[in-house]
Amino acid sequence: MTTAPAKPAKLPRELDPRNPFTRLTNLLDPGSLELITPDDLSGMLAVRGTIAGAPVVAFCSDATVMGGAMGDEGCEVVCTAYEVARREELPIIGLWHSGGARLAEGVLSLHAVGKIFYAMTQASGKIPQISVVLGPAAGGAAYGPALTDVVILGPEGRIFVTGPDVVRSVTGEDVDMLRLGGPEPHGRRSGVVHITTDSEAAAIEQARRLADLFANQGEVSGDVSDSDLSGLLPESAKRAYDVHPLVGGVLDEGSGVELHQRWAPNIVTTLGRLGGRTVGVIANNPLRLGGCLDALSAEKASRFVRMCDAFGVPMVVLVDVPGYLPGVGQEWDGVVRRGAKLLHAFAESVVPRVTLVTRKTYGGAYIAMNARSLGATRVFAWPRAEVAVMGAVAAIRILHRRKLAEVAPELRTQVEAELAAEHETIAGGIERAREIGVVDEVVEPAKTRSALAAAIATAEQHGRVRGRHGNIPL
Amino acid sequence: MSHTVVAELVANVQKVTAKAGDTVGPEDTLVILESMKMEIPVLAEVAGTITELKVVEGEVVRDGDPIAVIEEN
Repeated sequence: MTTAPAKPAKLPRELDPRNPFTRLTNLLDPGSLELITPDDLSGMLAVRGTIAGAPVVAFCSDATVMGGAMGDEGCEVVCTAYEVARREELPIIGLWHSGGARLAEGVLSLHAVGKIFYAMTQASGKIPQISVVLGPAAGGAAYGPALTDVVILGPEGRIFVTGPDVVRSVTGEDVDMLRLGGPEPHGRRSGVVHITTDSEAAAIEQARRLADLFANQGEVSGDVSDSDLSGLLPESAKRAYDVHPLVGGVLDEGSGVELHQRWAPNIVTTLGRLGGRTVGVIANNPLRLGGCLDALSAEKASRFVRMCDAFGVPMVVLVDVPGYLPGVGQEWDGVVRRGAKLLHAFAESVVPRVTLVTRKTYGGAYIAMNARSLGATRVFAWPRAEVAVMGAVAAIRILHRRKLAEVAPELRTQVEAELAAEHETIAGGIERAREIGVVDEVVEPAKTRSALAAAIATAEQHGRVRGRHGNIPL
Repeated sequence: MSHTVVAELVANVQKVTAKAGDTVGPEDTLVILESMKMEIPVLAEVAGTITELKVVEGEVVRDGDPIAVIEEN
């Protein structure tokens, strides 16, 4: 569970950029920092202060002492920080730079690290927990952030169970810290990290933005500006496009913070503001895997949905999905088990959750993307959207298999097109979806922002609700 | 360093839009796949020069099959 990070030239503690007091000062509003625990050599420092005016609790590893290794005393500091944050119901932010448990303290240090995990788990879903990993975070220092709601990784951040030296001695595998637990593996492959940044200052800034979104959730203003979003979809229904401009267009300008940007990129999960109120956006991204749901993207979205629900953040679900990705790879990867998480997450959520079908929604993925049947607060569709079990041509090839087999090959395309048009009007057209009540309202792209905002405001007019559950790192 | 771009899903190669020798950026499209009734662009992911383009139009690729090799800048 331990590893020794490389030691830079020794600076006096007060000048060392790794000094926890300095790092916490950078995190909090100027002049707001107050110590909760003494600034000593315990290996951790806990403080309170404000971010964008909202009170928060924060703690930081002391990498100037034994590389930030966690002993009994240091772990007690973190547990004290959690007690304060729980009692006062404040967000808590942890800045990590630690080689893991203090080897010299033996099992006592493991016991102490375990108590942090317990405190984090007890706090899960009750107070927002944000982790910023600024240096190596090994063993206990890796699992600490992993238990929290959002993990931000600075450029020097490295997260792993055990460092390269131990890996080499145990398995013979030769690997460096960057490849083992740097921004590339954790940002793109493992999903351990939600946000990677180019500098320590940017990592701290992202933590501040997230704390602000959770702590200062705001109200939907009466006058939400609209802009025409229709130009953000391509003309062809088959054409892929990047959904990010649409997510940005729905949210207040510049307010979005995307989580897990490069991991499972076929679904986009972004916190931001709509008419001033904090919301979470879940959007299929047709640029990647055609926007299909698959095992990983379903799991990613599920965790995000449960986080939003736990902290009372309403959701906006932007749907353009051809289905769940089929095939051996997906089945063996548990697309049924992991896909079920998304059904569970939406169906369990009590916050307002508003769906907008922009282009199409088919099959099982139709249900999973917060359909009416899962308890969506309101379901909107753009005028040309299609809601169906599958695309019309695919459907009529199954429904009219015998009839089509008898058609001369040169006429088949024409007959298919006719049957598909007929099928669309009875099965996939938006009017049919309205008739049976799975779409509440057709909305113009130019009036979408105000319609989504109004649906959330209406749902919250008699008060706000939040889910009562933890946020297990699914 | 050379980077291999692989197919992320089973698909038909509908169109090859780049060729060996081309200089590409991370957002550039190399080929367009067709799967799930969708046209899905395969992006270069890195900046560099294409040294090999391993698919032809009409071919079926499987999840993980190499599509192109790019020598990174």
